[in-house]
Amino acid sequence: MSEKYPPIKIVNGKKYFYRFNLNQRIQHIILAATVIILVLTGMPLKFSGKPWAPYLYAMFGGIDVAPMVHKITGAIMLVLFVYHVYWLITTIYHNHLLPLKREGKLTFGNVVRVLLRLPMVPNMKDARDIAGLIKYLLFFTNERPAGDEYTWKEKFDYWAPFWGIFVIGITGIIIWNKEFFTQVIPGDAINLCFIAHSDEALLAALFLFIWHWYNVHFSTSVFPMGTVFITGYLPEELMREEHYEHYVRVMKEMGLEDEILPPHGGHSSPCDSDDGDGGLQASAEDGPQAENKIQQGGTAA
Amino acid sequence: MGNCLLCHKYPGLSRVDEAGRMKLMFVNEDIFNKSVHSKVKCEGCHTDITKIPHDPAKPVDCLTECHIVEPTSEQKFSHKEVEKFLNNSVHSKIDEKGRPKQFSEDMPSCKDCHDNPLFRPLAFVKKVRPGIAEDAMGRCRVCHKKEDFIFRFYNHITTRMHKSRSPLNIAQACGKCHDDPELVARHNLKTKAGYSYSETFHGKAANLLDESVPDCLDCHVVKGKSVHQMYGNDDPRSSTYPANRGNICNSVDCHPGASVKFANYKVHAEYSKEQSPVIYWFTTFFIILTGGTLLPLMGIMFLDLLRRLFPNATIMRRRK
Repeated sequence: MSEKYPPIKIVNGKKYFYRFNLNQRIQHIILAATVIILVLTGMPLKFSGKPWAPYLYAMFGGIDVAPMVHKITGAIMLVLFVYHVYWLITTIYHNHLLPLKREGKLTFGNVVRVLLRLPMVPNMKDARDIAGLIKYLLFFTNERPAGDEYTWKEKFDYWAPFWGIFVIGITGIIIWNKEFFTQVIPGDAINLCFIAHSDEALLAALFLFIWHWYNVHFSTSVFPMGTVFITGYLPEELMREEHYEHYVRVMKEMGLEDEILPPHGGHSSPCDSDDGDGGLQASAEDGPQAENKIQQGGTAA
Repeated sequence: MGNCLLCHKYPGLSRVDEAGRMKLMFVNEDIFNKSVHSKVKCEGCHTDITKIPHDPAKPVDCLTECHIVEPTSEQKFSHKEVEKFLNNSVHSKIDEKGRPKQFSEDMPSCKDCHDNPLFRPLAFVKKVRPGIAEDAMGRCRVCHKKEDFIFRFYNHITTRMHKSRSPLNIAQACGKCHDDPELVARHNLKTKAGYSYSETFHGKAANLLDESVPDCLDCHVVKGKSVHQMYGNDDPRSSTYPANRGNICNSVDCHPGASVKFANYKVHAEYSKEQSPVIYWFTTFFIILTGGTLLPLMGIMFLDLLRRLFPNATIMRRRK
């Protein structure tokens, strides 16, 4: 895997850090596309009395076609969800549990310990990072917390849709097949399914289109668009801003100790731009040299 | 008599009545000729007008015998039969003993629901299946007595027999009274019916002008009877009587095969602690979840935007 996806790629003298493999990126794009279509075909129903609703609905074929579009898209999302869980379990099994098994340490305690230490599982560092970020945002310090491989924002962005797809998916299947399910569950449970389905969907839409898009596209560090979801590689300045702890670790593993740049002191800003830019220029000048080291590091690993 | 349009063809023809309201007297001949009453002469309904120029006319009474001859009995036609049904229904102005009900003035009379509807082309009707529709036959039986005639007449004027209004239209017509909060409170009704209907998927689809979703009448009128024979939920004759309710939803046009439990779905649930406590607290949970998630994140976003204007400022300590 490290051969296919080198931890650091250098393009035009700038370092890019490996984040997501092709499988993850395709999963993400399918998820993003289905979410957008589901929101566009669902919200006109939730807000059917609003003047914009019929026009938006008409774009998806109106009352005759849009519900079908919504159901097919929802089904694709659920297939993706099932695949993702399958992929998650096999990946964890191959990368974490199988090595344990080979060493003969496959006890219940060890498994729980390994699972809790997975990079996407929330931990105490996330709590400290949130507190650190609040301190930074309220001007109590000018140091951003040094994020690890996955920051609390990314874990939030992962687990919120995970729970959301679960809730919206189950209730969606029930609403879709209400005649079948009411053989067992009472009819007024369908009322609750409608509420859960549409309210959780509104929450998810607002969460993704405001919070997630702000963090990955609209914030001044990445505007107009973050590209990591396409390329799988994150530029060095964003690594230093959001994942400094991980950045330092990767640089050391690759034998690039002397090229480690200081943490991003705040953001580049029209008001104050004397910090951070020097580092970028230096890395551009060091380009060819760094490239050699990466290749050496790659063969050594 | 005749030629009323000599005067009434002028679009500006109007007067201010004793109550100070503007009354438009203009009759649009084009529209009138497309309406269901186009064959009835003006004086057929405005019976108090006998000379021209005429005195202020009384409101039209729909129960008047009119000039049309009813073909099964060859007698003058009248809507009087409808009154019998209506007086026996939940919308009656009088109770079982013939005494006026409390707030009887709130009860609908003919013109509260019926304007002078236009004929609608067949393309607008709801699901059409071959054969005689039972809900259409119910409409015939109000006035016509011979089953054989009803059968032939149905085939003759089949376009008139399907519902002439869109579901949204029906919901709005019923909502004129059933969404009036004062009227709802006066009559101890459990819901603003049009509003709570509009919160269901049926109502939402009706809002988006779906012609095939069920409206008020599809559930509240007993199959084979007319809208004038609606009864209260506590009347065993009513389609929405608890024991009958199970058979509404699983009609062949709607949710065939649905269980009786299916009909326990609360069509008229409102976000109200008194009316539907479970739904109230369930919704409240999601409101809190949404606010509790989004507000802190919006706060962080706002502070983040602010922070980016002064990236290196701090009140405590500076990094070396």
